[in-house]
Amino acid sequence: MALQITGLRKEFGGVVALAGVDVSIELDRIVGIIGPNGSGKTTLFNVVAGVHRPTSGRVLWQGKDITGKPAYQIARMGIVRTFQQAMSYRGLSVRENVRIASEHGRSYGGAARPKWDSPDEILAFVGLAGLGNEMAGSMPFGNLRRLGVAVALAANPLLLLLDEPAAGLSENEIAELMELILRFPRMGIGVCLIDHDMFLMSTLCERLVVLNFGTKIAEGPPTLVLNDPKVTEVYLGNEI
Amino acid sequence: MNETPHFPEPAPPVGRRRDIASERPVTPPAVQSEAKGRSGWVKLPSREETVVAIVAVVFLVGFPWCNPGYRFLSLAITTGFTSIALYGLGLQFGQAGIMSVGHAAFLGIGAYTAAIMAGRFGLGFWVALPFSALFSAVIAGLIGLPSLRVGGQHYIIITFCFCALLNIALTNGGSFTGAATGLDVGSIDPIFGINFDQLRNAYYLVVAVLLISLLVTYLITNSSYGRTLRAIRENEALARAVGINTGLHKIGALMVSGAFAGVAGVLQAYYLRHISPALYGPFPSLYLALMVMLGGARLLYGPLAGAIIVSFLPEILKLDPIDSRIAYGVGLLVVILLLPGGVSAGLLDIYRWLLSKRRR
Repeated sequence: MALQITGLRKEFGGVVALAGVDVSIELDRIVGIIGPNGSGKTTLFNVVAGVHRPTSGRVLWQGKDITGKPAYQIARMGIVRTFQQAMSYRGLSVRENVRIASEHGRSYGGAARPKWDSPDEILAFVGLAGLGNEMAGSMPFGNLRRLGVAVALAANPLLLLLDEPAAGLSENEIAELMELILRFPRMGIGVCLIDHDMFLMSTLCERLVVLNFGTKIAEGPPTLVLNDPKVTEVYLGNEI
Repeated sequence: MNETPHFPEPAPPVGRRRDIASERPVTPPAVQSEAKGRSGWVKLPSREETVVAIVAVVFLVGFPWCNPGYRFLSLAITTGFTSIALYGLGLQFGQAGIMSVGHAAFLGIGAYTAAIMAGRFGLGFWVALPFSALFSAVIAGLIGLPSLRVGGQHYIIITFCFCALLNIALTNGGSFTGAATGLDVGSIDPIFGINFDQLRNAYYLVVAVLLISLLVTYLITNSSYGRTLRAIRENEALARAVGINTGLHKIGALMVSGAFAGVAGVLQAYYLRHISPALYGPFPSLYLALMVMLGGARLLYGPLAGAIIVSFLPEILKLDPIDSRIAYGVGLLVVILLLPGGVSAGLLDIYRWLLSKRRR
């Protein structure tokens, strides 16, 4: 197990966002996390990526305890996350966005996967070829999402945490995104995915983890999980 | 529960919406010209940048030959050391995005360090220059620590408070700081037989340091470190998410900025020969902020342009101090509304517009 989360708990004041979650993620897989709004999916990412310190519980990464380490250190160890809001350095050029990430991030080598020689190569890979001189903030939303993935890739991750990468994208853009995400495990990059698009999740993910009120209520292959009465109850409510 | 759940059939063939199998080529297109310099440590100046640099150097070095007279030459010296401090402020505000409205405090630390070193320990200008720079940098780093917890406007208020606090400390420092009267400073020890009591030589000393500040600013802005600072300015959360130790680099930027201000303070002290707390209060600080915003903090010549405009315009237009303050206020509003990047960015935009018109 590359990433092992045990008994992770996070409270904000009196609100329990995560009430002891256990998840483990392998590096050559795509794992999905689903759950209704407010079930703690993004909080899980934030705690793993070092944005928030957990109240209790442990996060092990390749055997090392990384619980509560600052975000930049976790990123340099190879866990890189993207943001729900399609974040970028808006006032900088697209190429500079990617170059900044490639100058930081995980510097040492690892699994056999392509080494990017220039920011433009990464841009071409995510489908932004020729847009390097564009100002990031002036790009349409779909391209900003691609740029978010390019920036994360440039930081040389072993595990990508993608927070709602398909939100706000058109059908075509989602298809292209799925094609892109499917390539990551083959490149030795593990993917942990949050999204509400069930088609995307059930197509891409080998395993789904379902959260509700900060607790894991189901885990397993999409076919089983999505037909689990506990899961359908959470999404559709009880029978009257 | 008879209803089928509201989920799509799991695991349909991958190519439902479009032909996903059509592989996009992974090989990059021909690398564009801008990406060529990536192996280099710093981007080399373009032809236009070189031309502007030569014009700027000729202008700065040639100024005393234009027979400016005592008044304008001394004004030029003042503008010179002010610009040096502004290059520090330009770096922390323009690149790292941390504004300060108490920046004169760091000039004050540099100036008072030099004056106390001279008065108490008999250490002259050439010793004071590096030491004051270092000391200002350390203090700027310490004052920067709260910036790790509070950002934006909150930190601006902290800088303002520090400036006011330093002023009170200097005024009540007894004979150590000379209280409200301040301290006297001697003259700069001659080096290579150059006597800096001559105004023209003092001007060249300031211009030499100014050119070094310009060079340092250029090197920082166009290197990986400059990009790191811009990443922090544009999006701190994203910067951390790709592995940037934002706290370390913010303090670093503030320390570099403090060092610039310290150097400027020493030059100011040895030029004025007398320093007092009033020079380093909130008002001079606001002037520094005004100059850097008016000139533009992000472009290389912005701070210099801001300093020249604010120092020389009232003199040329013969405005009295009250009128000039009103003019600055109006000028700042106009710049913020019409030229958010400052005068330098405005000029660059005009240049690019003319260029695009000629190409058409």
